[in-house]
Amino acid sequence: MGYVFDLRGVLSGQYLDWFLIGLATTLALTCAAWCLAMTMGIVLTLIRMIPFRPLEWFVALYVEYHRNVPLLVQIFVWYFGVPSLLPRPARQWINVHHGEFLLATIALGLAAAAYVAEDVRSGIRSIPKAQNEAARSIGFGYLGAMGYVVLPQAIRIAVPPLINQTLLLFKNTSLAMAIGVGELTYRTREVESYTFKTFEAFAVATAIYLTISFGIMACGAYVGRRLKLETV
Amino acid sequence: MIRFENVDKWYGSTQALAGVSGVVGRGEVKVLVGPSGCGKSTLIRTVTRLEAIQGGRVLVDGVDVGSRSVSINRLRQRVGFVFQAYNLFPHLSAIGNITLGLTKLRKMGKWEARERALAELARVGLAEKAEAMPGKLSGGQRQRVAIARSLAMDPEIMLFDEPTSALDPEMVGEVLAVMKQLAASGMTMICVTHEMGFAREVADEIWFMERGAVTERGKPADLINSPRHPRLQGFLSTISRAPK
Amino acid sequence: MLEILQDNWLLFLVGQYPHGPIGGLTMTLFMATTALAFCFPFAIALALARLSRYRWLSSAATAIVHTVRGLPLIMFIFWTYFFSPLVIGRAVGGVETLIIALVVYEAAYLSEIIRAGIEGLPKGQFEAAAALGLGYWTTTFKIVLPQALHNMLPSMVSQFVSTIKETSLGYVISAHEVTFAASQVNNVLLTQPFEVYAILALTYFVLCFALTSLARYIERRISAGRVVATPVVTVAA
Repeated sequence: MGYVFDLRGVLSGQYLDWFLIGLATTLALTCAAWCLAMTMGIVLTLIRMIPFRPLEWFVALYVEYHRNVPLLVQIFVWYFGVPSLLPRPARQWINVHHGEFLLATIALGLAAAAYVAEDVRSGIRSIPKAQNEAARSIGFGYLGAMGYVVLPQAIRIAVPPLINQTLLLFKNTSLAMAIGVGELTYRTREVESYTFKTFEAFAVATAIYLTISFGIMACGAYVGRRLKLETV
Repeated sequence: MIRFENVDKWYGSTQALAGVSGVVGRGEVKVLVGPSGCGKSTLIRTVTRLEAIQGGRVLVDGVDVGSRSVSINRLRQRVGFVFQAYNLFPHLSAIGNITLGLTKLRKMGKWEARERALAELARVGLAEKAEAMPGKLSGGQRQRVAIARSLAMDPEIMLFDEPTSALDPEMVGEVLAVMKQLAASGMTMICVTHEMGFAREVADEIWFMERGAVTERGKPADLINSPRHPRLQGFLSTISRAPK
Repeated sequence: MLEILQDNWLLFLVGQYPHGPIGGLTMTLFMATTALAFCFPFAIALALARLSRYRWLSSAATAIVHTVRGLPLIMFIFWTYFFSPLVIGRAVGGVETLIIALVVYEAAYLSEIIRAGIEGLPKGQFEAAAALGLGYWTTTFKIVLPQALHNMLPSMVSQFVSTIKETSLGYVISAHEVTFAASQVNNVLLTQPFEVYAILALTYFVLCFALTSLARYIERRISAGRVVATPVVTVAA
């Protein structure tokens, strides 16, 4: 085909900067959304423990909405839809303060929170009732049994799925490009449109994504092995 | 010490306990036997309200276990319960299983709790396994740790729900030895078990249960050698165990 | 919101047809179904390769699956967008691009589900087949796969739901599916973005929730009928 594969053009000067900024933005978005997801996930889990029907329905609805609506559509609802409902000063504030990044973080974080809540719930449910009974038989109340016996074991079980969620969150940040967030995929397209070296540009981005993804996967495998408890 | 007064319990439309009455005095050892499904495990679990009852009363030291004013957690600290499936906490070491209750409920200091826990482990013959994780212990060792865990709380009563049924035959002896020691030291005990040899040696009275009711009661020698109920005769003949 | 729906329901449903290519929800479902159907043979091949006793085959398959799982779908779509014209030799439309990208992407995830299904079968099945003298291919296609696929039916329905959600990325390459249709409606109306995208979200919600409920129903039916425990793998894309 007579095509020369030349990485130098793509990795020099300002194009390299664009890649790095893109990577930095991707990582920043991942971290911000992750913090939101973990916080919200814990909040949802706590709400679930309150034996009040309407609250249980609320959490169920929250989880089902975020699991059945595509993430891209959720991002659009937040970015295009929500600001139109807010009063003008709020909208202006959002516009000035990196609106796309903020709203993308919210969308990604809240969506991941639904999965976090489900993973923690699965972890708790997988602990046999007998463990709770044994703890209660020693004299622990509900909170003691939960805090010292059930949750420590549930969290060990929930960590590998949670690390998987982190991987998904990292990959999903690429969707933010659709609303103009300058993360890695967005910048890659910029580089590609300026240099016309499509293959090289995407190869670089692919390498970066794969490196970090494999890192997270390896982390998950390692942690999974360390936390494994032999069945008693 | 423990008094059952006409205890009734239903699971849906099935009656698990039908008007069960009986007394367990201080320092006495009662053994509950019977075919599976007769309600013996259910009965023993009502003592610490692990099962709720629909009729009658269960009294521990004169206090109605089911009454609202009773602190059930306090009660459970005074009554030790040993499960068929041991139910050790897999995320804690053997000694950790024991110190958990001591530090969090009895509010003991860390070192005091460790000393006490080691003493209990020594009592059941497992001092050298203190730091072992439950996953690495044999069934008999796990059950002994479970017994040590309950004993560390200084209970006045010990309840055993088929403690050896899940064990391989060669490990049954070590657990029974611990239980016999306990009985000899004057502990009030109720044991649900199939180990008739143990019952004959140690029990003050054997209760034979069938379909939720106690149908025969008596001293081990009488009951085992000359059972009155044909069902008990049949039951005893099916458990062929050499006396230990 | 109701008026928007009343005025534009046709656009949501079939895109600009007949004044343009078919789009909307119809195209969404068409793409999801086509992609999943086409990826099936590849998924089975990948799963069998991963479980193969030939090291080179299983390593290659594992590498492929890990690579696909490590990349965001949008990168896949861009790779396909730029390079399928070169490979095929002609211009490739948004819909075709999306389907090709999804076939590759879904094959990896579906292969994991199939692999879990195969590994979840009791060893006795393989031993019985070997004892009867059945060869590898007969065992695989007549005994192992039928059972594995039946057991993993709920997971596969879940994967179908994921695929439907993934078609929304067609927006980025102007493939005419329902998200793209919604953005067109929004570009015309301009003043009611929340209502438009709320309708879009609701559309996906109703469709996917119905399918997810179907998956749960199937799972219950399977669990009730089986003595052997079946693994449930939800491989989120």
